[in-house]
Amino acid sequence: MDTTETTPATPILQLRDLKMHFPVREGIFNRAARFCKAVDGVTLDVQEGETLGLVGESGCGKSTLGKCVVRLNQPTSGEVIYQDTNLAPLKRKELKPFRRNLQMVFQDPVESLNARHTIGEILSEPFIIHGIGDREERKASVAKLLDRVGLPANAYDRYPFEFSGGQRQRIGLARAISLNPRVLVCDEPVSALDVSIQSQVLNLFLELQRELKLSYIFIAHNLAVVKHVSDRIAIMYLGRVVELAPADEIYTKPKHPYTRALISAIPQPEPRRKSERIVMTGDVPSPIDPPSGCPFHPRCPHATDRCKVEAPALRPAPDGASGHTVSCHYDL
Amino acid sequence: MSSPSPATAPPVLEVDNLVTTFDTDAGRLTAVDGVSFTVKAGHTVGIVGESGCGKSVTALSVMRLLPQPMGQIRGGEIRLDGEDLVSLPIDDMQQIRGGRIGMIFQEPMTALNPVHTIGRQLSEVFLLHLTKDPKDAWQRGITMLERVGIPAPNDRMHEYPHQLSGGMRQRVVIAMALACEPKVVIADEPTTALDVTIQAQILELMQQLQRDLGLAIVLITHDLGVVAEMCDEVVVMYAGRIAESGPVERIFNHPTHPYTRGLLASIPRLTTPRKSELPVIEGMVPSLADLPEGCRFQNRCPYREDICGQLPPLEEVDADHHCACHRWRELPAANVS
Repeated sequence: MDTTETTPATPILQLRDLKMHFPVREGIFNRAARFCKAVDGVTLDVQEGETLGLVGESGCGKSTLGKCVVRLNQPTSGEVIYQDTNLAPLKRKELKPFRRNLQMVFQDPVESLNARHTIGEILSEPFIIHGIGDREERKASVAKLLDRVGLPANAYDRYPFEFSGGQRQRIGLARAISLNPRVLVCDEPVSALDVSIQSQVLNLFLELQRELKLSYIFIAHNLAVVKHVSDRIAIMYLGRVVELAPADEIYTKPKHPYTRALISAIPQPEPRRKSERIVMTGDVPSPIDPPSGCPFHPRCPHATDRCKVEAPALRPAPDGASGHTVSCHYDL
Repeated sequence: MSSPSPATAPPVLEVDNLVTTFDTDAGRLTAVDGVSFTVKAGHTVGIVGESGCGKSVTALSVMRLLPQPMGQIRGGEIRLDGEDLVSLPIDDMQQIRGGRIGMIFQEPMTALNPVHTIGRQLSEVFLLHLTKDPKDAWQRGITMLERVGIPAPNDRMHEYPHQLSGGMRQRVVIAMALACEPKVVIADEPTTALDVTIQAQILELMQQLQRDLGLAIVLITHDLGVVAEMCDEVVVMYAGRIAESGPVERIFNHPTHPYTRGLLASIPRLTTPRKSELPVIEGMVPSLADLPEGCRFQNRCPYREDICGQLPPLEEVDADHHCACHRWRELPAANVS
């Protein structure tokens, strides 16, 4: 397989100590007394043409991170560097020229398409906003897009409700690639789809990436799906990256106890395997009041006193491939 | 695992040639068409299929919870310990639901009433079926919460559903389903709304309770991984009919029906080469209002021939392994490993 021998060129996207803290307002003065630390210090790179998978349970901050990248959220602190520009502090107007380069595909293809607009109107809008082409040219571009994502040309005059979930996700994808973006943030793009449709849409994602040299940030909770499309995978827990590794290695040599539990918890479609599941006790703690030290320590079977007080930093994994990092005090 | 051998275990629930229809603006739609399966004590039967294949309607038919007046059972029998439920007066069904058949729903937040405490909802089950004494019902509720692994059950009884996490809420729903020691539990996508690590906890709990109580479980899901881990037998449904049914290892390792083959081939696994093109089932499920004549899978099937214009019978492939395809004998043997 192509073990993406990317000579360390400048990454197309760099996240530096990214934080997104949402104020929790309470009391009579509606003051922000506490903060929900959805993303709490994430540093990641995305190379050109690469897929970075983001995996974690609900509330781990993976979607919020995705929204920070396309600046649907303004990060509390940290940097989002696209090519050479830090997008994090930019104002609305300053952002506009960059928007076309960073696009997003949403999870729910029903909610993310305006039910009152035809597919033609939905797909023309990006061109109108960025003032590209006249009416005829736009129509031609939309026709090309529809063909590209495998939809019939007559979809132009039809409404979203006339399409199935898989087709709607294709429309969402067509909209996202309409302005030739460089980076696509895909937030659970196939989890709402039926099994037999999932593989169709995943194939389309892979095809488009090869053709258009897109970089993906692929967010999902299904590790098998993420592994299939990704070059590298970051595992998130309570707003932090706990392990980052090449996609093949993360499941052959998982280092972090959370990664191990997560992988073992995925039911595999192989009856004979009947799991040696690591069943973790307890729930994910709230990001409003995360545990001290290592955020995973209350659920970790290997936790020691040190884990309760000292937060581990990401460090190169013992006997791991280059680029495999893990945030755990111990070599497990 | 430790379930009694299929030969000795008595059938608890038998569904025989069930036909369920819905009257809609588009006319009468047959959501379930001739579905049969048997669940034995201590066994789990999985019903798999995609949205709209009729798996949930099958569950609602067994519980006689079809939306009225649109949904009607038009044919077949549903026997619980030999007693037919289809012809039972609806008032008698009240005793069976929650008593002899328990139900676990997908979304625990909607299955629980948000304005009543856990204790009130849980004791209600006991008051309806087992006891008249509220104090006794409350005590039994506490025992039940303990049994499903909820810490500090005394305190939890006074809390409202929103105060619990998703996994804890699903445990409460399981406690309610098992309160009266039913013989059969129907679980409709019990872990779909949960995270994987919580899903693992709930599946573990269901397996443990099954071993302890000898429960027969009907597990409805779209997740083939969950089926492989939990079930003894599988029923694969497509557009209202059974495509294939049989022991879980047979179905997963030697799928016979083209739909089952396609489905198993199309899911990415941890062992699939990365970024390779996945095999797909072309097209999409036909709508119930617009079903093709004959085999319902024909418009997506790579092996389609003229004979597929006739409805294929469910034929025996092997002991307990059935398949509804005209051409299964001719198709190259599939060996998924």
